[in-house]
Amino acid sequence: MAARDKGANEEYVRPIRRILVIGLLMFLMALFLLWRIDSPRAERFRAMLVDRFVPSMDWALVPVTKTVDMIEGFESYARLYEQNQDLRRELQQMRAWREAALQLEQENAKLLDLNKVRLDPALTFVTGVVLADSGSPFRQSVLLNVGARDGIQDGWATTDGLGLVGRISGVGQTTSRVILLTDPGSRIPVTIQPTGQRALLVGDNSALPPVEFIEDMEQVRPGDRVVSSGDGGVFPAGLLVGQLVTGPNRRLRVRLSADYERLEFLRVLRSTPADPVGAPGGLVGPGPRLQEPSEIVAEEAADG
Amino acid sequence: MAEVVVTRRFRHWCLFLVLSFLVIFTRLLPLDAGPGRLPGPDLLVCLAFAWVLRRPAYVPVAMIAGVILLTDILFLRPLGLWAFCVVLGSEVLRRREPFTRDLPFLLEWLMVGMVIVIMTLGYTLILAVFAVSQPSIGLTLIQMIATILAYPLVVLFSSRIVGLRKAAPGAVDNLGRKV
Repeated sequence: MAARDKGANEEYVRPIRRILVIGLLMFLMALFLLWRIDSPRAERFRAMLVDRFVPSMDWALVPVTKTVDMIEGFESYARLYEQNQDLRRELQQMRAWREAALQLEQENAKLLDLNKVRLDPALTFVTGVVLADSGSPFRQSVLLNVGARDGIQDGWATTDGLGLVGRISGVGQTTSRVILLTDPGSRIPVTIQPTGQRALLVGDNSALPPVEFIEDMEQVRPGDRVVSSGDGGVFPAGLLVGQLVTGPNRRLRVRLSADYERLEFLRVLRSTPADPVGAPGGLVGPGPRLQEPSEIVAEEAADG
Repeated sequence: MAEVVVTRRFRHWCLFLVLSFLVIFTRLLPLDAGPGRLPGPDLLVCLAFAWVLRRPAYVPVAMIAGVILLTDILFLRPLGLWAFCVVLGSEVLRRREPFTRDLPFLLEWLMVGMVIVIMTLGYTLILAVFAVSQPSIGLTLIQMIATILAYPLVVLFSSRIVGLRKAAPGAVDNLGRKV
Protein backbone atom coordinates (compact mmCIF):
# COMPACT_ATOMS: atom_id res chain seq x y z
CA MET A 1 0.00 0.00 0.00
CA ALA A 2 2.70 2.35 1.07
CA ALA A 3 4.73 1.40 -1.97
CA ARG A 4 1.86 2.19 -4.34
CA ASP A 5 1.25 5.50 -2.57
CA LYS A 6 4.85 6.33 -3.03
CA GLY A 7 4.74 5.43 -6.72
CA ALA A 8 1.71 7.62 -7.36
CA ASN A 9 3.25 10.40 -5.38
CA GLU A 10 6.45 10.24 -7.39
CA GLU A 11 4.57 10.32 -10.67
CA TYR A 12 2.78 13.57 -9.85
CA VAL A 13 5.40 15.30 -7.80
CA ARG A 14 8.35 14.94 -10.18
CA PRO A 15 7.02 16.94 -13.17
CA ILE A 16 5.39 19.57 -10.96
CA ARG A 17 8.64 20.06 -9.06
CA ARG A 18 10.54 20.37 -12.31
CA ILE A 19 8.15 23.06 -13.54
CA LEU A 20 8.47 24.93 -10.25
CA VAL A 21 12.28 24.82 -10.40
CA ILE A 22 12.28 26.08 -13.99
CA GLY A 23 9.89 28.83 -12.91
CA LEU A 24 12.25 29.76 -10.08
CA LEU A 25 15.23 29.87 -12.44
CA MET A 26 13.32 32.05 -14.88
CA PHE A 27 12.31 34.37 -12.06
CA LEU A 28 15.94 34.77 -10.98
CA MET A 29 17.08 35.41 -14.55
CA ALA A 30 14.27 37.94 -15.00
CA LEU A 31 15.39 39.66 -11.82
CA PHE A 32 18.93 39.89 -13.20
CA LEU A 33 17.68 41.30 -16.50
CA LEU A 34 15.54 43.81 -14.63
CA TRP A 35 18.59 44.84 -12.62
CA ARG A 36 20.59 45.22 -15.82
CA ILE A 37 17.94 47.21 -17.64
CA ASP A 38 16.63 49.44 -14.85
CA SER A 39 19.62 49.64 -12.55
CA PRO A 40 18.63 52.77 -10.55
CA ARG A 41 15.26 51.34 -9.59
CA ALA A 42 16.77 47.96 -8.65
CA GLU A 43 19.46 49.70 -6.58
CA ARG A 44 16.79 51.74 -4.81
CA PHE A 45 15.00 48.50 -4.02
CA ARG A 46 18.29 47.09 -2.72
CA ALA A 47 18.90 50.16 -0.54
CA MET A 48 15.39 49.79 0.87
CA LEU A 49 15.94 46.14 1.75
CA VAL A 50 19.35 46.78 3.31
CA ASP A 51 17.77 49.60 5.25
CA ARG A 52 15.23 47.16 6.68
CA PHE A 53 17.59 44.27 7.26
CA VAL A 54 20.91 45.56 8.59
CA PRO A 55 19.79 47.95 11.36
CA SER A 56 17.69 45.10 12.79
CA MET A 57 20.97 43.24 13.35
CA ASP A 58 22.55 46.29 14.92
CA TRP A 59 22.12 45.00 18.47
CA ALA A 60 24.33 42.03 17.58
CA LEU A 61 26.69 43.69 15.10
CA VAL A 62 27.92 46.36 17.48
CA PRO A 63 28.81 44.18 20.53
CA VAL A 64 30.59 41.55 18.41
CA THR A 65 32.62 44.18 16.60
CA LYS A 66 33.56 45.88 19.84
CA THR A 67 34.51 42.58 21.48
CA VAL A 68 36.79 41.60 18.61
CA ASP A 69 38.34 45.05 18.64
CA MET A 70 38.92 44.69 22.38
CA ILE A 71 40.58 41.31 21.93
CA GLU A 72 42.82 42.77 19.26
CA GLY A 73 43.58 45.66 21.58
CA PHE A 74 44.38 43.21 24.37
CA GLU A 75 46.84 41.35 22.16
CA SER A 76 48.67 44.57 21.58
CA TYR A 77 49.36 44.85 25.33
CA ALA A 78 52.12 42.36 24.72
CA ARG A 79 53.98 45.01 22.77
CA LEU A 80 53.15 47.76 25.20
CA TYR A 81 56.69 48.87 25.89
CA GLU A 82 57.72 49.14 22.24
CA GLN A 83 54.50 50.91 21.44
CA ASN A 84 55.05 53.38 24.23
CA GLN A 85 58.52 54.19 22.92
CA ASP A 86 57.19 54.59 19.40
CA LEU A 87 54.40 56.84 20.58
CA ARG A 88 56.77 59.05 22.55
CA ARG A 89 58.98 59.46 19.53
CA GLU A 90 56.00 60.23 17.33
CA LEU A 91 54.64 62.65 19.88
CA GLN A 92 57.93 64.52 19.85
CA GLN A 93 57.77 64.82 16.07
CA MET A 94 54.14 65.85 16.24
CA ARG A 95 54.96 68.65 18.67
CA ALA A 96 57.41 70.04 16.17
CA TRP A 97 54.82 69.80 13.42
CA ARG A 98 52.18 71.36 15.61
CA GLU A 99 54.40 74.32 16.24
CA ALA A 100 55.01 74.68 12.52
CA ALA A 101 51.31 74.31 11.77
CA LEU A 102 50.34 76.96 14.30
CA GLN A 103 52.80 79.42 12.82
CA LEU A 104 51.60 78.63 9.31
CA GLU A 105 47.99 78.97 10.38
CA GLN A 106 48.61 82.42 11.78
CA GLU A 107 50.51 83.43 8.71
CA ASN A 108 47.79 82.03 6.49
CA ALA A 109 45.07 83.82 8.41
CA LYS A 110 46.98 87.07 8.07
CA LEU A 111 47.47 86.60 4.34
CA LEU A 112 43.85 85.64 3.81
CA ASP A 113 42.81 88.71 5.72
CA LEU A 114 45.10 90.88 3.62
CA ASN A 115 43.67 89.44 0.42
CA LYS A 116 40.06 89.53 1.63
CA VAL A 117 39.51 85.88 0.59
CA ARG A 118 36.06 84.56 1.26
CA LEU A 119 36.12 80.94 2.44
CA ASP A 120 33.39 78.52 1.45
CA PRO A 121 30.88 78.60 4.34
CA ALA A 122 28.79 75.78 2.89
CA LEU A 123 30.93 72.91 4.18
CA THR A 124 29.19 71.62 7.27
CA PHE A 125 28.99 67.95 8.10
CA VAL A 126 26.95 65.13 9.60
CA THR A 127 28.84 62.43 11.48
CA GLY A 128 27.75 58.82 11.21
CA VAL A 129 28.89 55.52 12.68
CA VAL A 130 29.96 52.65 10.42
CA LEU A 131 27.39 49.85 10.75
CA ALA A 132 28.61 47.20 8.36
CA ASP A 133 30.89 46.69 5.40
CA SER A 134 29.92 45.40 1.98
CA GLY A 135 30.55 41.78 2.94
CA SER A 136 32.06 41.10 -0.45
CA PRO A 137 35.78 41.07 -1.22
CA PHE A 138 35.07 42.61 -4.61
CA ARG A 139 33.24 45.73 -3.50
CA GLN A 140 34.62 48.33 -1.13
CA SER A 141 31.86 50.09 0.71
CA VAL A 142 30.58 50.68 4.22
CA LEU A 143 27.12 51.34 5.60
CA LEU A 144 26.54 54.40 7.82
CA ASN A 145 23.76 54.86 10.35
CA VAL A 146 22.65 58.20 8.91
CA GLY A 147 20.26 58.41 5.99
CA ALA A 148 17.60 60.45 4.27
CA ARG A 149 16.14 61.19 7.72
CA ASP A 150 19.30 63.15 8.50
CA GLY A 151 19.23 64.93 5.15
CA ILE A 152 21.93 62.83 3.50
CA GLN A 153 21.90 62.98 -0.30
CA ASP A 154 23.49 60.88 -3.00
CA GLY A 155 26.91 62.03 -4.11
CA TRP A 156 28.04 63.82 -0.98
CA ALA A 157 31.68 63.44 0.03
CA THR A 158 32.71 61.50 3.13
CA THR A 159 35.90 62.01 5.14
CA ASP A 160 37.25 60.50 8.32
CA GLY A 161 38.24 63.93 9.62
CA LEU A 162 41.61 63.88 7.86
CA GLY A 163 41.30 62.50 4.37
CA LEU A 164 38.62 61.73 1.84
CA VAL A 165 37.07 58.27 2.29
CA GLY A 166 34.45 58.02 -0.43
CA ARG A 167 31.11 59.26 -1.60
CA ILE A 168 27.54 58.49 -0.67
CA SER A 169 25.86 56.14 -3.11
CA GLY A 170 22.53 54.76 -2.03
CA VAL A 171 20.48 56.40 0.71
CA GLY A 172 17.89 54.61 2.79
CA GLN A 173 15.65 56.15 5.42
CA THR A 174 18.10 55.51 8.29
CA THR A 175 21.20 54.18 6.51
CA SER A 176 23.38 55.20 3.63
CA ARG A 177 26.14 53.46 1.75
CA VAL A 178 29.58 54.98 1.20
CA ILE A 179 31.44 53.74 -1.87
CA LEU A 180 35.10 53.89 -0.81
CA LEU A 181 37.77 55.37 -3.07
CA THR A 182 39.23 51.87 -3.47
CA ASP A 183 36.02 50.41 -4.96
CA PRO A 184 36.39 49.40 -8.62
CA GLY A 185 33.46 51.68 -9.45
CA SER A 186 34.97 54.79 -7.89
CA ARG A 187 36.28 57.60 -10.15
CA ILE A 188 37.25 60.87 -8.49
CA PRO A 189 38.69 63.94 -10.23
CA VAL A 190 41.77 65.11 -8.31
CA THR A 191 44.39 67.81 -8.45
CA ILE A 192 48.04 67.04 -7.76
CA GLN A 193 49.70 69.76 -5.70
CA PRO A 194 51.85 71.80 -5.97
CA THR A 195 51.82 71.83 -9.80
CA GLY A 196 48.04 71.69 -10.12
CA GLN A 197 47.94 68.82 -12.59
CA ARG A 198 44.45 67.40 -13.12
CA ALA A 199 43.97 63.63 -12.99
CA LEU A 200 41.48 60.91 -12.16
CA LEU A 201 41.73 58.64 -9.09
CA VAL A 202 40.53 55.21 -10.16
CA GLY A 203 39.62 52.58 -7.55
CA ASP A 204 40.77 49.07 -8.40
CA ASN A 205 40.22 47.03 -5.23
CA SER A 206 43.79 47.55 -4.02
CA ALA A 207 44.91 49.60 -1.03
CA LEU A 208 46.75 52.06 -3.29
CA PRO A 209 44.40 53.21 -6.05
CA PRO A 210 46.16 54.36 -9.25
CA VAL A 211 45.99 57.85 -10.75
CA GLU A 212 45.16 58.04 -14.43
CA PHE A 213 44.98 60.67 -17.15
CA ILE A 214 47.72 62.86 -15.71
CA GLU A 215 48.25 65.75 -18.12
CA ASP A 216 52.02 65.97 -17.88
CA MET A 217 53.88 63.08 -16.30
CA GLU A 218 57.07 65.17 -16.12
CA GLN A 219 55.64 67.53 -13.56
CA VAL A 220 54.51 65.08 -10.90
CA ARG A 221 56.65 63.02 -8.60
CA PRO A 222 56.09 60.65 -5.69
CA GLY A 223 55.38 62.51 -2.47
CA ASP A 224 53.15 65.13 -4.08
CA ARG A 225 49.90 65.86 -2.29
CA VAL A 226 46.68 64.79 -3.95
CA VAL A 227 43.52 66.77 -3.23
CA SER A 228 40.07 66.58 -4.73
CA SER A 229 39.37 69.01 -7.55
CA GLY A 230 35.91 70.44 -7.94
CA ASP A 231 35.78 69.29 -11.57
CA GLY A 232 32.41 68.21 -12.80
CA GLY A 233 30.77 69.39 -9.61
CA VAL A 234 31.35 65.93 -8.15
CA PHE A 235 33.04 67.03 -4.95
CA PRO A 236 33.95 70.14 -3.08
CA ALA A 237 37.47 71.13 -4.13
CA GLY A 238 40.51 70.93 -1.92
CA LEU A 239 39.73 67.91 0.27
CA LEU A 240 42.90 66.00 1.11
CA VAL A 241 43.02 62.59 -0.57
CA GLY A 242 46.57 61.37 -0.02
CA GLN A 243 50.11 61.29 -1.34
CA LEU A 244 51.52 60.01 -4.60
CA VAL A 245 53.67 56.89 -4.47
CA THR A 246 55.22 54.82 -7.24
CA GLY A 247 53.67 51.40 -7.53
CA PRO A 248 55.02 48.35 -9.33
CA ASN A 249 55.82 48.92 -13.03
CA ARG A 250 56.29 52.63 -12.27
CA ARG A 251 52.59 53.38 -12.19
CA LEU A 252 51.66 56.30 -9.96
CA ARG A 253 49.35 55.41 -7.13
CA VAL A 254 47.92 57.25 -4.12
CA ARG A 255 48.56 56.40 -0.50
CA LEU A 256 45.27 57.49 1.04
CA SER A 257 45.38 59.80 4.04
CA ALA A 258 42.19 58.38 5.53
CA ASP A 259 42.82 55.47 7.88
CA TYR A 260 41.06 52.67 6.01
CA GLU A 261 42.01 50.13 8.66
CA ARG A 262 39.94 51.92 11.25
CA LEU A 263 36.81 53.29 9.67
CA GLU A 264 34.58 53.92 12.66
CA PHE A 265 33.11 57.41 12.48
CA LEU A 266 32.75 59.16 9.15
CA ARG A 267 31.87 62.76 8.35
CA VAL A 268 29.47 63.32 5.51
CA LEU A 269 30.09 66.79 4.08
CA ARG A 270 26.96 68.69 3.11
CA SER A 271 27.73 70.14 -0.26
CA THR A 272 25.53 72.24 -2.44
CA PRO A 273 26.23 72.59 -6.14
CA ALA A 274 27.79 75.92 -7.07
CA ASP A 275 25.49 78.48 -8.69
CA PRO A 276 25.87 78.17 -12.46
CA VAL A 277 26.98 81.29 -14.26
CA GLY A 278 24.47 81.55 -17.10
CA ALA A 279 24.50 85.02 -18.60
CA PRO A 280 27.57 86.24 -20.53
CA GLY A 281 27.73 89.47 -18.52
CA GLY A 282 27.06 92.95 -19.72
CA LEU A 283 30.56 93.89 -20.92
CA VAL A 284 31.13 91.18 -23.54
CA GLY A 285 29.21 92.92 -26.26
CA PRO A 286 25.73 92.28 -27.58
CA GLY A 287 25.34 88.61 -26.74
CA PRO A 288 21.96 86.94 -26.49
CA ARG A 289 19.72 89.28 -24.52
CA LEU A 290 18.57 87.55 -21.39
CA GLN A 291 17.18 90.57 -19.60
CA GLU A 292 13.58 90.99 -18.59
CA PRO A 293 11.69 93.66 -20.54
CA SER A 294 11.10 95.64 -17.34
CA GLU A 295 14.88 95.82 -16.71
CA ILE A 296 15.44 97.11 -20.22
CA VAL A 297 12.87 99.81 -19.62
CA ALA A 298 14.56 100.69 -16.36
CA GLU A 299 17.92 100.84 -18.12
CA GLU A 300 16.58 103.15 -20.81
CA ALA A 301 15.05 105.33 -18.16
CA ALA A 302 18.41 105.52 -16.43
CA ASP A 303 20.14 106.35 -19.72
CA GLY A 304 17.60 109.03 -20.48
CA MET B 1 5.84 8.28 13.07
CA ALA B 2 5.03 10.74 10.34
CA GLU B 3 5.37 13.58 12.80
CA VAL B 4 8.88 12.47 13.76
CA VAL B 5 10.02 12.62 10.13
CA VAL B 6 8.35 15.97 9.54
CA THR B 7 9.77 17.52 12.73
CA ARG B 8 13.24 16.30 11.91
CA ARG B 9 13.00 17.81 8.45
CA PHE B 10 11.66 21.07 9.88
CA ARG B 11 14.44 21.18 12.46
CA HIS B 12 17.06 20.83 9.74
CA TRP B 13 15.43 23.56 7.67
CA CYS B 14 15.71 25.88 10.65
CA LEU B 15 19.30 24.77 11.27
CA PHE B 16 20.26 25.51 7.67
CA LEU B 17 18.69 28.96 7.89
CA VAL B 18 20.45 29.68 11.20
CA LEU B 19 23.83 28.59 9.80
CA SER B 20 23.29 30.73 6.70
CA PHE B 21 22.42 33.80 8.76
CA LEU B 22 25.49 33.18 10.90
CA VAL B 23 27.69 33.16 7.80
CA ILE B 24 26.03 36.31 6.40
CA PHE B 25 26.32 38.00 9.78
CA THR B 26 30.05 37.36 10.13
CA ARG B 27 30.60 38.56 6.57
CA LEU B 28 28.77 41.81 7.36
CA LEU B 29 30.79 42.62 10.49
CA PRO B 30 32.79 45.78 9.82
CA LEU B 31 36.05 44.20 10.94
CA ASP B 32 37.95 43.93 7.71
CA ALA B 33 36.70 46.93 5.79
CA GLY B 34 39.36 47.99 3.38
CA PRO B 35 40.99 46.51 0.37
CA GLY B 36 43.91 44.20 -0.12
CA ARG B 37 42.52 41.10 1.55
CA LEU B 38 42.15 37.87 -0.34
CA PRO B 39 38.55 36.79 -0.84
CA GLY B 40 37.51 33.90 1.39
CA PRO B 41 35.46 30.89 0.36
CA ASP B 42 31.78 31.17 -0.39
CA LEU B 43 30.69 29.02 2.57
CA LEU B 44 26.99 29.19 1.72
CA VAL B 45 27.57 27.39 -1.57
CA CYS B 46 29.64 24.71 0.21
CA LEU B 47 26.95 24.27 2.84
CA ALA B 48 24.13 24.03 0.31
CA PHE B 49 26.00 21.51 -1.87
CA ALA B 50 27.18 19.36 1.04
CA TRP B 51 23.65 19.11 2.39
CA VAL B 52 22.09 18.49 -1.02
CA LEU B 53 24.43 15.55 -1.55
CA ARG B 54 23.60 14.14 1.90
CA ARG B 55 19.94 14.80 2.58
CA PRO B 56 18.32 16.68 -0.32
CA ALA B 57 15.04 16.87 1.59
CA TYR B 58 16.66 19.10 4.23
CA VAL B 59 17.51 21.88 1.76
CA PRO B 60 14.53 22.62 -0.50
CA VAL B 61 15.42 24.53 -3.62
CA ALA B 62 13.35 27.56 -2.60
CA MET B 63 15.40 27.93 0.57
CA ILE B 64 18.70 27.87 -1.35
CA ALA B 65 17.33 30.44 -3.80
CA GLY B 66 16.08 32.66 -0.97
CA VAL B 67 19.30 32.63 1.02
CA ILE B 68 21.59 33.24 -1.97
CA LEU B 69 19.28 35.98 -3.28
CA LEU B 70 19.53 37.66 0.13
CA THR B 71 23.33 37.59 -0.10
CA ASP B 72 23.07 38.95 -3.65
CA ILE B 73 21.15 41.90 -2.25
CA LEU B 74 23.33 42.47 0.81
CA PHE B 75 26.74 41.95 -0.81
CA LEU B 76 26.07 44.31 -3.75
CA ARG B 77 26.23 41.62 -6.39
CA PRO B 78 24.11 41.78 -9.54
CA LEU B 79 20.62 40.81 -8.34
CA GLY B 80 19.63 37.21 -8.95
CA LEU B 81 22.44 35.99 -11.20
CA TRP B 82 24.55 34.19 -8.61
CA ALA B 83 21.36 32.76 -7.08
CA PHE B 84 20.49 31.50 -10.57
CA CYS B 85 23.89 29.78 -10.87
CA VAL B 86 23.72 28.23 -7.40
CA VAL B 87 20.18 26.93 -7.88
CA LEU B 88 21.18 25.42 -11.21
CA GLY B 89 24.29 23.80 -9.67
CA SER B 90 22.36 22.45 -6.70
CA GLU B 91 19.71 20.98 -9.00
CA VAL B 92 22.40 19.22 -11.02
CA LEU B 93 23.83 17.74 -7.80
CA ARG B 94 20.37 16.91 -6.45
CA ARG B 95 19.62 14.83 -9.51
CA ARG B 96 22.93 12.97 -9.12
CA GLU B 97 22.39 12.41 -5.39
CA PRO B 98 20.95 8.85 -5.59
CA PHE B 99 23.98 7.71 -7.60
CA THR B 100 26.59 9.26 -5.31
CA ARG B 101 25.64 7.40 -2.16
CA ASP B 102 28.43 4.84 -2.41
CA LEU B 103 30.89 7.19 -4.12
CA PRO B 104 34.22 7.76 -2.33
CA PHE B 105 34.59 11.26 -0.99
CA LEU B 106 37.39 12.20 -3.39
CA LEU B 107 35.14 11.62 -6.39
CA GLU B 108 32.33 13.58 -4.75
CA TRP B 109 34.75 16.43 -4.12
CA LEU B 110 35.87 16.32 -7.75
CA MET B 111 32.26 16.46 -8.92
CA VAL B 112 31.37 19.37 -6.64
CA GLY B 113 34.57 21.15 -7.67
CA MET B 114 33.66 20.80 -11.33
CA VAL B 115 30.17 22.15 -10.69
CA ILE B 116 31.64 25.15 -8.82
CA VAL B 117 34.13 25.82 -11.65
CA ILE B 118 31.38 25.68 -14.27
CA MET B 119 29.15 27.94 -12.14
CA THR B 120 31.91 30.51 -11.74
CA LEU B 121 32.76 30.45 -15.43
CA GLY B 122 29.10 30.75 -16.40
CA TYR B 123 28.64 33.64 -13.98
CA THR B 124 31.68 35.48 -15.34
CA LEU B 125 30.62 34.80 -18.91
CA ILE B 126 27.06 36.05 -18.44
CA LEU B 127 28.36 39.19 -16.74
CA ALA B 128 30.75 39.71 -19.65
CA VAL B 129 27.96 39.22 -22.20
CA PHE B 130 25.80 41.79 -20.41
CA ALA B 131 28.79 44.16 -20.16
CA VAL B 132 28.66 44.44 -16.38
CA SER B 133 31.88 45.66 -14.79
CA GLN B 134 33.53 42.77 -12.96
CA PRO B 135 36.15 42.20 -10.30
CA SER B 136 39.50 41.09 -11.69
CA ILE B 137 39.60 37.50 -12.91
CA GLY B 138 42.39 36.65 -10.45
CA LEU B 139 40.25 37.47 -7.42
CA THR B 140 37.34 35.48 -8.82
CA LEU B 141 39.60 32.47 -9.39
CA ILE B 142 41.06 32.74 -5.88
CA GLN B 143 37.58 32.77 -4.41
CA MET B 144 36.59 29.79 -6.51
CA ILE B 145 39.63 27.78 -5.38
CA ALA B 146 39.05 28.77 -1.75
CA THR B 147 35.45 27.59 -2.04
CA ILE B 148 36.53 24.23 -3.45
CA LEU B 149 39.18 23.84 -0.73
CA ALA B 150 36.66 24.71 1.98
CA TYR B 151 34.22 22.04 0.82
CA PRO B 152 35.78 19.10 2.76
CA LEU B 153 35.78 21.18 5.96
CA VAL B 154 32.09 22.00 5.54
CA VAL B 155 31.38 18.31 4.88
CA LEU B 156 33.34 17.38 8.01
CA PHE B 157 31.37 19.94 10.00
CA SER B 158 28.05 18.68 8.60
CA SER B 159 28.75 15.01 9.29
CA ARG B 160 30.51 15.32 12.66
CA ILE B 161 28.65 18.17 14.34
CA VAL B 162 25.27 18.29 12.61
CA GLY B 163 25.24 14.50 12.15
CA LEU B 164 24.33 14.59 8.47
CA ARG B 165 25.42 11.31 6.87
CA LYS B 166 24.80 10.01 3.42
CA ALA B 167 21.90 7.61 3.20
CA ALA B 168 23.07 4.07 2.53
CA PRO B 169 22.02 2.76 -0.90
CA GLY B 170 18.40 1.66 -0.60
CA ALA B 171 17.93 3.09 2.89
CA VAL B 172 14.39 3.80 4.08
CA ASP B 173 13.08 6.35 6.55
CA ASN B 174 10.66 5.71 9.42
CA LEU B 175 7.68 5.67 7.07
CA GLY B 176 9.25 2.98 4.94
CA ARG B 177 9.82 5.30 1.99
CA LYS B 178 13.10 5.46 0.16
CA VAL B 179 15.23 8.33 1.45
